[in-house]
Amino acid sequence: MTERENMKVSKSWLLELTKLEVSLDEVVRLLPLRTIGTKEITEDFIELDMKGYNRADLLSMRGVTYEVAAITDSKVNFDETDENEYIWESNKLPQAKVEVECPKLVPLYCIAKISGLRVEPSNKDWVKKLEDCGVRSVNNLADITNLAMLEYGQPMHAFDAGQVKDEVLIVRTAKDGEQIVTLDEKKRDLIPSDILICDSEKALGLAGVMGGKNCEVTDETNTILLEAAIFDPIFIRKTAQRLNLPSEASRRFQHGLTKKRLLQALSAAIKMYQDLGGNLEAISIIGDTSEPTKKITVNQGRVNSLIGVDIKPEDIENYLKRLYFGVKKIENGWELEVPYYRLDVNIEADVIEEIARMYGYEKIPSKKLEGNIPEKIDQKLFDFIYNLKISLVDLGLTEVQTYSFYSTKILSDLGFRNSDLIKVSNPMSSETEYLRDMLWPNLLEKVAFNLKQGYESIAIFEVGKVYVPRENDLPEEKYKLAIAIADGDDSIQKLYTIFQKLNEYFGDTKLEAGESELFHPVRAWQLMKGGRQVGQIGEVHPRITNKFGIEKRVAIIELEISNKQACDLWSLKIRNL
Amino acid sequence: MEDKISGIKKTYLDKISSAKSLGDLDEIFLALFGKSGEITQIPKEFSKIPKEDLKTIAPLFIQTKKELEEAIEKRREEVREEKYAKLSDEKIVLQPVLQPVLQPERLQAKIKSDGGHLHPITQLEHEITELFRKLGFQQFNAPHIDTTKYNFELLNIPEGHPAMDLWDTLYVECKKCNVNPGELLLRTHTSNAQVRIMEQNKPPIRMMILDRCFRYENLDARHEHTFDQFEIVYIDKKVNMTNLQYLSEYFLKAIFGTDIKVRMLPKYYPFVEPGAAVEGQCIFCKGKGCKICSKGWLELTGAGMIHPQVLKNGGIDPNIYSGIAWGFGIYRIALLKYGVPDVRQFLSGDLKFLEKY
Repeated sequence: MTERENMKVSKSWLLELTKLEVSLDEVVRLLPLRTIGTKEITEDFIELDMKGYNRADLLSMRGVTYEVAAITDSKVNFDETDENEYIWESNKLPQAKVEVECPKLVPLYCIAKISGLRVEPSNKDWVKKLEDCGVRSVNNLADITNLAMLEYGQPMHAFDAGQVKDEVLIVRTAKDGEQIVTLDEKKRDLIPSDILICDSEKALGLAGVMGGKNCEVTDETNTILLEAAIFDPIFIRKTAQRLNLPSEASRRFQHGLTKKRLLQALSAAIKMYQDLGGNLEAISIIGDTSEPTKKITVNQGRVNSLIGVDIKPEDIENYLKRLYFGVKKIENGWELEVPYYRLDVNIEADVIEEIARMYGYEKIPSKKLEGNIPEKIDQKLFDFIYNLKISLVDLGLTEVQTYSFYSTKILSDLGFRNSDLIKVSNPMSSETEYLRDMLWPNLLEKVAFNLKQGYESIAIFEVGKVYVPRENDLPEEKYKLAIAIADGDDSIQKLYTIFQKLNEYFGDTKLEAGESELFHPVRAWQLMKGGRQVGQIGEVHPRITNKFGIEKRVAIIELEISNKQACDLWSLKIRNL
Repeated sequence: MEDKISGIKKTYLDKISSAKSLGDLDEIFLALFGKSGEITQIPKEFSKIPKEDLKTIAPLFIQTKKELEEAIEKRREEVREEKYAKLSDEKIVLQPVLQPVLQPERLQAKIKSDGGHLHPITQLEHEITELFRKLGFQQFNAPHIDTTKYNFELLNIPEGHPAMDLWDTLYVECKKCNVNPGELLLRTHTSNAQVRIMEQNKPPIRMMILDRCFRYENLDARHEHTFDQFEIVYIDKKVNMTNLQYLSEYFLKAIFGTDIKVRMLPKYYPFVEPGAAVEGQCIFCKGKGCKICSKGWLELTGAGMIHPQVLKNGGIDPNIYSGIAWGFGIYRIALLKYGVPDVRQFLSGDLKFLEKY
């Protein structure tokens, strides 16, 4: 299975599950206004943009149906299965052999043993439902697990019982150094935070992520062990991310599942296997199946003050009932029972969002900000930076902005020691692996780039942050100014002129001769202020510029501007520039 | 043939070693490897040579070619180093070349004939900050390198939450900093300032953050891994969604013209509740639907009422105060406003691009 962040909603399946009062076109129009953004829309499906979303319920056809019914004021076309209607309630069955060694990570684990099956292609109706939802049809036995997952949101897995040694399933965490061959025939190294499904001698699958090769349903399969479980979402996420195995199943585990849906899905799937001639021989349900109802009290005043619109109480009640909340009127508000499948609704503000979107965000009017303007805080740094930029532009320089990283060329040609720099642990490429601690190297690169494309003289500057490691603290982030001039043999004199001009406003900065391999041996100076180096000015050593393909002289200056005192002084004076 | 190759080699190695300047070397290079250069010409005669002889001649030719190339490169370095050695004679006394310095026109004329240019992003950002200063918002400075605590956890995004998929994060290593591995990152959004703002200020709060953010992103015309975001944090009594609509209209009308229609849609961000996306009617097709927009609308900003837990995390009582967090990517607005076709141009340093603004 490939990674898909979205939920493809089969249109025909949706129509089957809803007594829809409006057209499908109206559903398509309303979904982004009331619920969630949509991506691709075809004759067969509506794709919901689920990236990062918290609506676990929308990863099931039933959940989507409830939502569509609510926003279109329609009714759903199915009943919630009651506990006493589950298929295993009617007759006494033996227990399937299951051991859960890590119950904290597996709050509910169910296995149903079903025999008398035969592998065949699925019927057209099943194939269409699956394909509409973007899932490939495999065969009738595997397709049932996917159909149940799509309808109820509960992932399922079918093991070939004949391949499970002693027909016993053991759920445990992996041991260090353990390996498994997954369905895609790749050998995977495991770590102790991976949850495994095993038989009495070997690992059969990575729980919630991918089945193993050694027990998949084949053409010879006639008995299956059908698994429906809830695994710890954080553990599943870690495993799926580490092994780069995102799947339809694993993202549902990550978003969160409900016990009620699990049991409904299991019951429905068993029924489908029975309709194919299968016999339910044994079943095990390990874990607490009760699901407490969430209750939230909502204050009517809070609703209207947060939305800013006076919505009539009867409208609020109506919206909440359409969303299948249990609604009880109390003084100044309501006591609500949250539908069991709405894992995203936990506090009053969540309910206020439900009311706002049912009312229609697009109908909320615009009202000016009221209240007092807060006290002023120091804005000198920002004012200073802007004024500085304007002044430099007035002097004929052009502002550039460059990456906060050093390129590999800069690192190698300037001979920077990587150990002095802040490193990105997971860079996109080696070009974005180290953060800059100076600005001018990036400017030099831009000088070279622009000379190459035909410019003869260049005068550019950048104001930006550099990053320097600091003991036991976040790295130091300093604002700096860098200027690069490549405009004839007197570039350094021109730069000095600009510096002097800035220096009038910069306070008392002195030049001191300073040597550095990066700079011209006699045309480079340190900029000192109060006995501390605050920057440098000079010609870049031709050995360096030549490496960048530059034959002209390049003069650069780099200056700290984070010093608050300097800022105070500068901001006063620079306006006069 | 062998003699010819050896002859070329001898003659040119001599020439190379006696070359005095990079110009000399360039000439030698051309004479050898140019279009009608002596080395370039040789393989053209190979067809006339018996196969047996070629077995010795071909390797000799390859070897000679390589030696000559290396000799030129080596001599280039030597010539350069000789030049570098003379740099210490270039002592100068720094003095202003132009007097008086307080004459921008003259400096301008001297340095670049057509004057300098402010980066288009700076221009747009200045326009935006001035707009919001008028409403009493002030700029807040927050770190680019931050902890998972401020970037995620205090914003209601616990480790392992699927919402983490919204931000492809770049993590940072810094031994000196003494922060646990995996806890230091390049901020993925300006929202890392939210709780800091609340910790450092008492309501009423009207702050804005405008600065660089980073994501793990492969570059193309529409994606940058380094970009600027703008965000405001507005906390007071009785702040509500109508104010959110006001801020969106206020901003988008100022940037794109007073006839733009603005609407909110539901959207999930973990640190707001209710959460909203703000769309403007497409400025290109005026809502008819075109290639650039989605059915006549452009998603422009993300916003919402600050989540009560986030207010609490910042030490603010959600029973008394409510707040708005509202923001957008500067580059996206700039692309639309200036009609820039490729987002990578902003950080390209390309003067041909920058001089247009």
